[in-house]
Amino acid sequence: MPRSSASAAADGGGEPRTARTRTTAPVSGHGGTAAHLGPTGDPLLVAKFSVPCVPRSIVRRQRLLERLTEGAAGPLTLITGAAGTGKTTLAAAWAREGAAPGPVAWLTVEQDDRAPGVFWAYVLEALSRHQIALSDEVGQPGSADFVDRSLLTRLAAALARLSRPVVLVLDGLEQLPVPAAASGLDFVLNHAGPQLRLVLISRVDPLLPLHRYRADGRIREIRGPDLAFTRQEATRLLRGHGLGRYENSVDALLARTEGWAAGLRLCALEMQRADDPAEFARSFAASQSAVADYLLTEVLDAQPAATRELLLYSSILDRVHPDLANALTGRTDAEWILAQLTRAHLFVEPINGTPWCRYQPLFAEVLRMHLRHHRPGLEPRLRRRAATWLADTGRLAEAVEQAAAAEDWQWACARMVSRSEIGQLLTGPEAHRLERAFSGMPSDLAGAAPALVAGACALARYDTAGCEAWLDRAEEELRKPGARPTGEARFVLSLLRLFAEPGAYVTEPDAYVTESDAHVTESDAHSGNSVGHAAEPVAQRRRELTEQVPRQLAETHPEIEALRRYGLACALQFGARPDEARKAFAYAAEGCSGEVAEGVRHSCLGRLALLEAQFGSLSQAEGHALLSLEVAGHRSVAPTRRSGIGHLALAAVALERAELRDARRHLALACRSPDAGHDPVTDTEIALTRARLDLAHGQWHAALTAVTAADASPRPRAPWSAQRMALVRAAAELARGEPGAAIAVLEESGPGGSAHTLALARARLAAGDLDRALSLLAPLDRRPGAGTAERVHLRLLRARAAALTHDTEAACRLLHDALAAARPERMRLPFTDAGPWVWRLLEGRPDLAAGHAWLLPGPACVNGAFRTGGRPPAPVVVERLTDREREVLQRAAELMSTEEIGEAMYLSVNTVKTHLRSIYRKLAVSRRSDAVRCARELHLLRPTSGDGEVTSSG
Amino acid sequence: MRYEFRVTGRLSTVMAEAFPELERVLAPEQTVLFGQVTDEAHLYGLLIRFQGLGLRVLEMRQLPEP
Repeated sequence: MPRSSASAAADGGGEPRTARTRTTAPVSGHGGTAAHLGPTGDPLLVAKFSVPCVPRSIVRRQRLLERLTEGAAGPLTLITGAAGTGKTTLAAAWAREGAAPGPVAWLTVEQDDRAPGVFWAYVLEALSRHQIALSDEVGQPGSADFVDRSLLTRLAAALARLSRPVVLVLDGLEQLPVPAAASGLDFVLNHAGPQLRLVLISRVDPLLPLHRYRADGRIREIRGPDLAFTRQEATRLLRGHGLGRYENSVDALLARTEGWAAGLRLCALEMQRADDPAEFARSFAASQSAVADYLLTEVLDAQPAATRELLLYSSILDRVHPDLANALTGRTDAEWILAQLTRAHLFVEPINGTPWCRYQPLFAEVLRMHLRHHRPGLEPRLRRRAATWLADTGRLAEAVEQAAAAEDWQWACARMVSRSEIGQLLTGPEAHRLERAFSGMPSDLAGAAPALVAGACALARYDTAGCEAWLDRAEEELRKPGARPTGEARFVLSLLRLFAEPGAYVTEPDAYVTESDAHVTESDAHSGNSVGHAAEPVAQRRRELTEQVPRQLAETHPEIEALRRYGLACALQFGARPDEARKAFAYAAEGCSGEVAEGVRHSCLGRLALLEAQFGSLSQAEGHALLSLEVAGHRSVAPTRRSGIGHLALAAVALERAELRDARRHLALACRSPDAGHDPVTDTEIALTRARLDLAHGQWHAALTAVTAADASPRPRAPWSAQRMALVRAAAELARGEPGAAIAVLEESGPGGSAHTLALARARLAAGDLDRALSLLAPLDRRPGAGTAERVHLRLLRARAAALTHDTEAACRLLHDALAAARPERMRLPFTDAGPWVWRLLEGRPDLAAGHAWLLPGPACVNGAFRTGGRPPAPVVVERLTDREREVLQRAAELMSTEEIGEAMYLSVNTVKTHLRSIYRKLAVSRRSDAVRCARELHLLRPTSGDGEVTSSG
Repeated sequence: MRYEFRVTGRLSTVMAEAFPELERVLAPEQTVLFGQVTDEAHLYGLLIRFQGLGLRVLEMRQLPEP
């Protein structure tokens, strides 16, 4: 297996963490490149995207550096060679020398990334971490296992718009054996235009059509023979190790190692140590052993016993922490030994700015070999020990991976359940890794814990049916005589059920019993008695969800509490209780603390925003949706776990504001999100929004078709789907001038809240049935808790009724009320939708139209003032940027890292970050690159020389 | 399928254990490894393992079934 086994360095923190507190180590810009601002600057993840360390004693290989510079002038440079030939070192040295034609985005590809979705998500992340602003339109891969061509098309188009070259280094491409990844790369290369300069580093030739690139002269190659050390380089290497006196051994060493970089370096190290270096060189040259075998065995045998033991024992790890190494050896000297090894550049390379280190892949393989040979049977025991240490320090995914490698599934499952870590399978940065680690679990394990874990894994894959089956099995196990179920196990079961069967937690007649969350729904306090017979098991289920949570759990595992609240809110939304759901989502979002819960917060805010948009609180909805997307933009929510519901909410907001282009854009983004097509609520809302958008474009025929198609779709839908579809269908019927059909549709779908009543009244008005319309509206007049949408529609309908009776005065007064209600939210759609009578009224009454310029189509209006120009509306800046913030932004636009800005402005890194966050909030963006682009559009920046043109113009 | 691989240098017992499915015969400055190879995937996996351990494959050929 090339490179150390599964998942080196994908996640994890800098220091050993106590169970919950992930260190937020500073994201120091190693090499001045990685300076992406993230509140969860995971140093190990940063290491994945930053140019690797280059040992100071490195031999500078001018001829190869020059070739690399030449190569990067064209689209593709390929560096291939066996393990230990110095490929990565060469590229890293080159990147650090600054000879590249543009910013260098670096991605170290690891085993974990072989799923195409994960790979491309990391490529996008690598680009964005290096301040290469691609437009949001590019989006994210929808699933880990699949990337559609359209994503790559958008990526290539965004790259083609760049105004300056950008170098993308993909190191370790042999980890991607899938032909699909290569064909994706080929596609992007062929369509990305001249600015993308790809540097591929691989042990094997990638599956690109290299012959074509060669024929076109579009590729530069640095291959094995090129990487071999020349005599001159080997001489310099020896001199660098203080072995200048032994230069006459060079030829022998070169002949024996064939210029193999790792071999030469090992030789040098051994010669340094040997009493008679020349003698060592001679005996090595004369030996018949395999070079790597001989040298590594020599070097390993030469180590003191303690060092050897440490190396062997910790070879089972992808990366080593001194404390973990101590836990494995049962000694206390790991830190000292590792420091020694690092200094000697022996086997070990440090991971940027952390106490962790990594074994060089070639050495790790050989060490493992030695472990198996010298200590047979020890490996599984070591892995179990490592798993315990990793789990105790909060590195659950790695712990489970170790347990999986030792096939100790029961330990892993018990740990997930008894410590309630199971929430991390559903949310948090390690969800995907955990799920993968458990994917090899056999399905016939005894006990409830494996069934619960399998259920959670199914849920994470949106497989609710599979989840239910596992939960049934877990329940069975818990009921077995002598099972003695723990509170945690029962709670986990209830929690998973909540997500798998949201319908089972809400019944129509009973009110939402809000346990201690009294402030969620005040009205529930006195409705507890109305629990009907059907609701009994429901109430029981909810009790299990509250009573069985051990008190301290909420504190130690905030994600569990967050999931519980989120699940209950989802159940309410699913159960057509939007008002309560809105409060519940707000409550849930509030309860999300800690990085692991960020995924829940992301979903909560998105769903909250959508409900608010429907309620008519458009500004709030917009704020929450943007916040939801911002939360997702951070690493703690894996791209493949991001929900499209935030975009859906933004689409709904834009639609209500009659900003149809924006609505369509956000809807498209929502459709491309990973959860589209899996979640019934999201799916239903997408279908509804699409139909309403068609309607807003005046395409009632398309809307009707869309609604019919959605109704006929076999996919699971929310229970209220049919009713909401009926509203759109009725509106479409009205649009085509068939009020009778509209009334029929609405009457058939039955009574359904104020939205339904309003729609029916509107249809009656259109049919000329004034009296029945007014009698429908009467009860709505004093309904408490009506949202903006309802109030605007109600007044508009009344105005229409008044206009129909030629009571212009009353009509104007009501229209004025409607406008006043809609104005703070810029809710235009009801007016543009209402028909020409609104405009006729307004034309006749300039006093009424005054102050409502926002309503007019064409030049959009921001904060009461007209903006001219036909460009799409720029984001609304509500708060001015302070001078300091402008200054920070200016420097950010000049591609300075956070650290550099801090130095230049004499500020601490944290202060700079605070300014940046404040800028993001004010500009309603979630990333630095977006802030810079937004600022350009709003002309907030001074033009600079060159103008830092690594943005897409778009 | 049976295959034979010839790699540079003599492999120690420890290194040879990376290929438990193959038998090992030492030759001057070479090691011959041979044995049953399950399928193509196994074959390529072996090649990657050779490369991962810094071994150079000089020759590889399919052997007649015994």
